Amino acid sequence: MSRVSDYAYINAMLRARIGIMRSSDIIENMIKAPTLVEAVSKLDGTRHQHIAEVYRKTGDLEAAELSLIEEQIASYREVVPYLPQESSFFMTVLLEKIEIENLKTAIRLWYSGAIMHRSISDRAKYICRTLIVHSIDYDRITNASSFSDIISAVSGTPYHDVLGSFAFESLSASGLFPLEIALDHLWFSRLIGAAKRLPSVDRKLAEAIYNVDIDLKNILILVRYGYYYHLEVESLAAAIIPEGYIGGEFIRRGVHGSGDDMMASIKNIVHRRYPAISDEIDHIRRTADDFTTMEENARQIMLIENYLGKWRAKAYQRLLLGKPFSIGVVLSYFFLERQEDSLIQAVLSAKSYNWDEGKIREALGL
Amino acid sequence: MSMFTQKMKMLTAVVMENDRDSVVRALLRKGVMEFVHIDSLPADKMSRLSSHSSSVPRAALTDARVRIETLMREADIPLPDIESIDIDTLPQLDMEAYRRFLDRLSGSLQSVRAEQKELNEKLLSYAEIQRYASEGKNEYLDLRTGTITHGNAKDLLSRLQIIEGIYLFDAEPYISLTFRRDSQRVSDLMDKFGWAESSDPEIQKNALPEALGKARSLSDDIHGKLSELAEDARKKILESSDKLIPMWTNVRVHELCEHVEACFSYTKNTTLFSGWVPAEYADDISKIIYDTTKGVSIVEWTDADSVPREEVPVAMKSPRILRPFQRMVDNYNTPEYGSINPTPFTAIAYMLMFMLMFADIGQGAVLLLAGVIGSLVYKKHPEKKDGLISRYLCTLLMYLGPASMVGGLLFGSFFGIQVPALWFPFDAVVEGESVPGLINSVYDILAITIFFGIGVIYLGLILNWINLFRKKRYIELVFDKNGIVGGVLYAAGIWFAYGFVRSGYRTFPSAPWFMPLVAVCLMMIVIKEPLEFIIRKSRKEDAGTVSHLILSTVMETLVEVLEIFSGLLSNTLSFMRVAGLGIAHASLMMAFYQLAALPGNAIAFFIIALLGNVLVIVLEGMSAGIQSLRLNYYEFFTKYFTGHGIAFEPVGLKSRIVSD
Repeated sequence: MSRVSDYAYINAMLRARIGIMRSSDIIENMIKAPTLVEAVSKLDGTRHQHIAEVYRKTGDLEAAELSLIEEQIASYREVVPYLPQESSFFMTVLLEKIEIENLKTAIRLWYSGAIMHRSISDRAKYICRTLIVHSIDYDRITNASSFSDIISAVSGTPYHDVLGSFAFESLSASGLFPLEIALDHLWFSRLIGAAKRLPSVDRKLAEAIYNVDIDLKNILILVRYGYYYHLEVESLAAAIIPEGYIGGEFIRRGVHGSGDDMMASIKNIVHRRYPAISDEIDHIRRTADDFTTMEENARQIMLIENYLGKWRAKAYQRLLLGKPFSIGVVLSYFFLERQEDSLIQAVLSAKSYNWDEGKIREALGL
Repeated sequence: MSMFTQKMKMLTAVVMENDRDSVVRALLRKGVMEFVHIDSLPADKMSRLSSHSSSVPRAALTDARVRIETLMREADIPLPDIESIDIDTLPQLDMEAYRRFLDRLSGSLQSVRAEQKELNEKLLSYAEIQRYASEGKNEYLDLRTGTITHGNAKDLLSRLQIIEGIYLFDAEPYISLTFRRDSQRVSDLMDKFGWAESSDPEIQKNALPEALGKARSLSDDIHGKLSELAEDARKKILESSDKLIPMWTNVRVHELCEHVEACFSYTKNTTLFSGWVPAEYADDISKIIYDTTKGVSIVEWTDADSVPREEVPVAMKSPRILRPFQRMVDNYNTPEYGSINPTPFTAIAYMLMFMLMFADIGQGAVLLLAGVIGSLVYKKHPEKKDGLISRYLCTLLMYLGPASMVGGLLFGSFFGIQVPALWFPFDAVVEGESVPGLINSVYDILAITIFFGIGVIYLGLILNWINLFRKKRYIELVFDKNGIVGGVLYAAGIWFAYGFVRSGYRTFPSAPWFMPLVAVCLMMIVIKEPLEFIIRKSRKEDAGTVSHLILSTVMETLVEVLEIFSGLLSNTLSFMRVAGLGIAHASLMMAFYQLAALPGNAIAFFIIALLGNVLVIVLEGMSAGIQSLRLNYYEFFTKYFTGHGIAFEPVGLKSRIVSD
């Protein structure tokens, strides 16, 4: 099979959908809608019609958001059969990202109940229990009486070994952050492994785009945990994903020290590839005697996130303009779809808190 | 019907400021005018005019209209027919009152949704409990039966109800079925009331089914309440429809007025406006303005001929019967002002092509029936949205069905079964049977479609010549590849190819006039650019440099010659697809009937033949439709349809235009 026959159909199908997505004013119309009820009704006649129907039937925004996740899963499943075998395996690994996020939510719930002693029954019903990629017993997680129950719930999946390396005591002491980072590491390593199995053209495209993704993730880890939470260099080294430019440089240069020394090294690394965010990094509070307020810090981090989000969107845009008969259009499509889904989720959530148009635009960086 | 695009006139009018609103409303009612901004006037006149300043910004009107439409859609309230309303009697526009009303309505809907959410949360909890029980995951449930030793059962129940679960507290022993993960909280509460767990095994045994039965009945109740609430939300809007509909009408009319008035300019006491009107309505518009202003106005008309052709909006007037084909033309592009209206030619060419590709009396009747039923369904349910099957497709099928039936009569085919043919038996020719007459092999069928293609291409060229003549582009008319020289070369090529085929593909025909004719035509193509250069120079227009002329002459000649020889050849051969699809249609039907005969059973024969017909109608029908469109767009339109026009978009009460 030639590349053209491999990708011709899916390329045409997804480009048509991208065209519809781009010409749609859903987000703008939703932001402008004065109330949540009116914002939801803007989804009528779009591919998200089902969400509007769920909301109209139940009035339950969380139930509507759950159906959005189910839509995302269905969307991946629809595309995978049209792809050549290596690419379909890669797409399955991409789908695992949704599964990992769902698993994290379930584990956070358990943590909230078992360690923080909060009631979780009101939220447990909104965990997506649909089979995504691997068979995970979510009931067992949300009802776990011990951490070993959670490990058993993921037996036979790639997540088993990762969760198995943690214990109840360590999680009680240090929180879920190390576990969540470990799951992210697992996913990125599986993604890179799957990319290596792709044909040459697809592999180059996938590696280029996911190296940008990894860089952005690493910058956020460095900013959030290095600058903001003053994590030690050893903890940071364990947290960052050892791939991409940032991860590679962090390890190659053997960043060490603490406080300002460490931050200067990190800034140096970030500055070389992403100079535009150096200034924002400078504004983040670093020491206890710094007068920067928490709100200012949060806004600064949001600015960095927005900038990185735009950088990422540009990278996917370039992918879309590149080789037509490649995995590029598929990756761009799913990026755009998830971007739209996240915005819809964010706007609905903001509307439920009665945020006005200006505040929503500011929060979303629009 | 007009053979050409409609003749247009440009109106420029001055009315008193006091008459402005009534003139705008009268023009909106007529709905035949496309307004233009007065920025084309000379700068000295413009400086004395001020632009429109509105009391309510147009964006605010649009937002309000969208908001009302959103709420109306929630209750499936259709938009009113604005044309039947007397817009002069509309109430004062009070945007603040409208906003308050809409906020109130939206707020009451939101409170219904909040009630729904509360119920849905309970429903999901009951569902989770029932699911655990049905999947045998009782270890996640916490079932308790017992009594309290102190305090009031009602108090305990009211405290327990904060925790999700099923509680049966009507009679002792009390039953509580909750999630095991909440057991600590349940125990803490129960301990305060001295809960004594029952030790009777019979009671324990019956408690779970009893609690699950209660969960089922509560779930059923909630389902009912949720439906009631959803209906309540609809009712709330429906009850407000007597306010929403006039509100929408008022906002919509003001929005349209604002759209129109944004094009106006003003002096202290007068309003100046301008716009395009089809010439046939010019007198009506003058009368409307004079009547509304009681003669206190000045109206001037400018003929479209005195305006650059590319600035004149294009209106085409085709009979209602040709509307589906008008849409095909619109989808392609807008023809240039003053050129031929392509719609009737498209209608004939499209139906002829479809007829040749999909000729069958029975299958045509099925298409016609599908079109009629679909159209009736859409007429009965106007709110029904277009999907894969659309209103347009249904209407088109009502044309293609009869075309196919006529083809079936000509070629003798009824659901793929041979019947007497008026022209020749297509299926028999495809099967290779000996058929009397001129057409007796598939090559003859191919030849028919090539002749048909030549006819279509020549029609395109002739229409182009008429267009160029009307536009007074005589150089293009004579020297262009789609001009007379192109037509002559095409005729010479046809003669040459015909002679070659007639000789059994052995010898090329020869004639003393052939080579000189081709040479003269090629010479004419070569001199086209220099001729234009000389004319531009003589008119003192920018003609470019001589070196540029040499380069463009060489390039133009090469491209034009290549396009004439390879382009026209491929355009002609492209029509073989008409025969190809016709043959495929006949062959598929034959294959299905042979398959149907294999089992030797009447029922099996019927089922296979039926499935075969369905498959052929859907796939071949779609294929023939697409190929006909393709031939029209690429082989026919490219000969005469420049698509340089701008569509005429008059503003009226029915208009969809709301923004610039």
